[in-house]
Amino acid sequence: MSSIVASLMPEFERLRQRFPEGFDSSMTLPCLRRIQELRGHVADEDISALVQWLGVPRIQFEEVLSYYTQFRRRPVGQVRLEICRNVSCSLRGAERLIGHVCQRLGVAEGGTTSDGRFTVTTAECLGSCGTAPVMVVDDEYHENMDIEKADRLIDAMSHADGGRGG
Amino acid sequence: MPQIFLDGQAFEARTEQTVLQVALEHGVFIPRLCWHPKLSVAGNCRICVVQVEGRSWVEIACNMPVSEGLRVLTDSPLVREHRKATMQFITLNHPVDCGICDKAGECTLQDYHVAFNGEASISREPKVQATKFHRLSERITLDNERCILCTRCVRFTREVSKSNALGVKNRGDHSLIRPAEGDDVRLLDDDAYSENIVDICPVGALLSTRLLYKERVWYLQATPSVCPGCARGCAIDVWHRKPEWKLRTLDARHNTAIVRVTPRDNPAVNGPWICNKGRDLALLLERPRADAALRKGRAVALDEALAAARELIGRARHPVALVSSWGSDEELAALDDALGDRFTCFVKDDHLPADGEVVEDDLLIRADKNPNGRTARARFGHQALQFAPDTDLVLVWGEGCDFGRLPRGVPVIFLNAFLAAENGHAEVFFPTSVHTERDGHFTNADGVRSAFSRCVDRPTGVVDAERVFRALASVPAGVAP
Repeated sequence: MSSIVASLMPEFERLRQRFPEGFDSSMTLPCLRRIQELRGHVADEDISALVQWLGVPRIQFEEVLSYYTQFRRRPVGQVRLEICRNVSCSLRGAERLIGHVCQRLGVAEGGTTSDGRFTVTTAECLGSCGTAPVMVVDDEYHENMDIEKADRLIDAMSHADGGRGG
Repeated sequence: MPQIFLDGQAFEARTEQTVLQVALEHGVFIPRLCWHPKLSVAGNCRICVVQVEGRSWVEIACNMPVSEGLRVLTDSPLVREHRKATMQFITLNHPVDCGICDKAGECTLQDYHVAFNGEASISREPKVQATKFHRLSERITLDNERCILCTRCVRFTREVSKSNALGVKNRGDHSLIRPAEGDDVRLLDDDAYSENIVDICPVGALLSTRLLYKERVWYLQATPSVCPGCARGCAIDVWHRKPEWKLRTLDARHNTAIVRVTPRDNPAVNGPWICNKGRDLALLLERPRADAALRKGRAVALDEALAAARELIGRARHPVALVSSWGSDEELAALDDALGDRFTCFVKDDHLPADGEVVEDDLLIRADKNPNGRTARARFGHQALQFAPDTDLVLVWGEGCDFGRLPRGVPVIFLNAFLAAENGHAEVFFPTSVHTERDGHFTNADGVRSAFSRCVDRPTGVVDAERVFRALASVPAGVAP
């Protein structure tokens, strides 16, 4: 069993009691979410451990993981920058913002900086059209973004001890 | 027993039934793509919509429980309008490449497209491109562009074959039927029932790799038969080329070869499924055949072989017969009638489980790999083979006999359908027909008697075992000619 799943097991066991019998597959979503919160992504060994514990076939985990784009199967940087590129944000300069952030950090969309600090991804609507464009730094919304504000944010977070810290 | 009304006509329904089940049971047509009688209700294709009288909207019949006095319209203008719109939606990203699709001619989507829509797509958007020829397993090729995501195949692997090998990955128009990955999953290759998903696929997405681009279904005809692969005796259809579409230029074997084997729904035996071994019946039945009677290894006319066998039987005082568990009910009766009182009979397992074969499971596959062992043993007993020291003739019928274990120096009469070294070692040899070359019955392990029909003619030189037994009958005991 993966160490993360092992450490979460008491929590998972408590959660399981809240579901009626025969609904073990309903546990997939909350379990995977907690694993990702701790590890940053869901690793193969985590799925294997859950398959063994829940008895839910592996394919059902793979379905859930591929259905929700919010799930990550590979390691990401310490800081995740997610920029919306749907209509409202694009009208307010999101494409320019994405281009700038990628260029400044030297990564392609979806890429991680070589020092493993930042990962830049794009999203289709983060539900913040009134304050477009929006950039989500980890789980924190930064609204009405422009290039200058993005630069300041990245500057502050560029050092492990700066900004939000490591 | 609630009474419901379909298009104004009253029908008795059972409480647990859905409107769709009642309609199909009474011959009222409601189309369906994702619904299958043996699988759970998915309700994703939306083609089975019906209208409850007095309502201004439609609902899916496959998931609508019956209730007393329910009045449903299955073909109202609103229903027709929705069906047409649904067909437009389903074919939005379907390539409609029936001209090069193996499923054409037996495709539910094709039938419904003609019946409910029949128009060219009104969409001007480019179709979503997806994987063609995705190798789902050794046996099955998946065309993701033709897939309408009904999930019949996924539900089959979860609910029937229980391999959990398939799922729907990704979302929306990126969705793909894909196998599970990783070391701890059962692959579709290991699913002994996998090829059923080709049958239940309502479109041309799941295709048999072996048949890919090989045949057109309208050139084929199905003959009802019984799978001889194990004691389950599944009802099958054996598909051959129609005689009127005989090929003249290619190898003549194409005209008599088994093209494919599909299950024929028999609730008492196999339901709508068969295992993959049944699909591979050609491997079993189309091995090189014996086509000449032999006398000490030398080809002779059938009459000469019969005369020689009669002479051997006439001379024998303690003859033993090893009875084939592949013989039909009729053949077993013929042997019993003709020679039963002269021979000491032992039933022989013609086939034992092959290496790597699934020996037994709780769905269909039985451990006894012979179709008619039950009838044979009911007639000739369960005793294990044992040669009395005074045995002076052995009649071996069918495969699975080790000639090295027969008593030395005792003459052998051998009946076998296939080419084998032993054929020439026998004193007299008869080349017999296989069950697809004659009519008859097998009785399976549970006592269900199933008929099989002749699919093709016997090859020249081959004789039915039944005829041999009748010809050998009435040879009096111990009378030297």
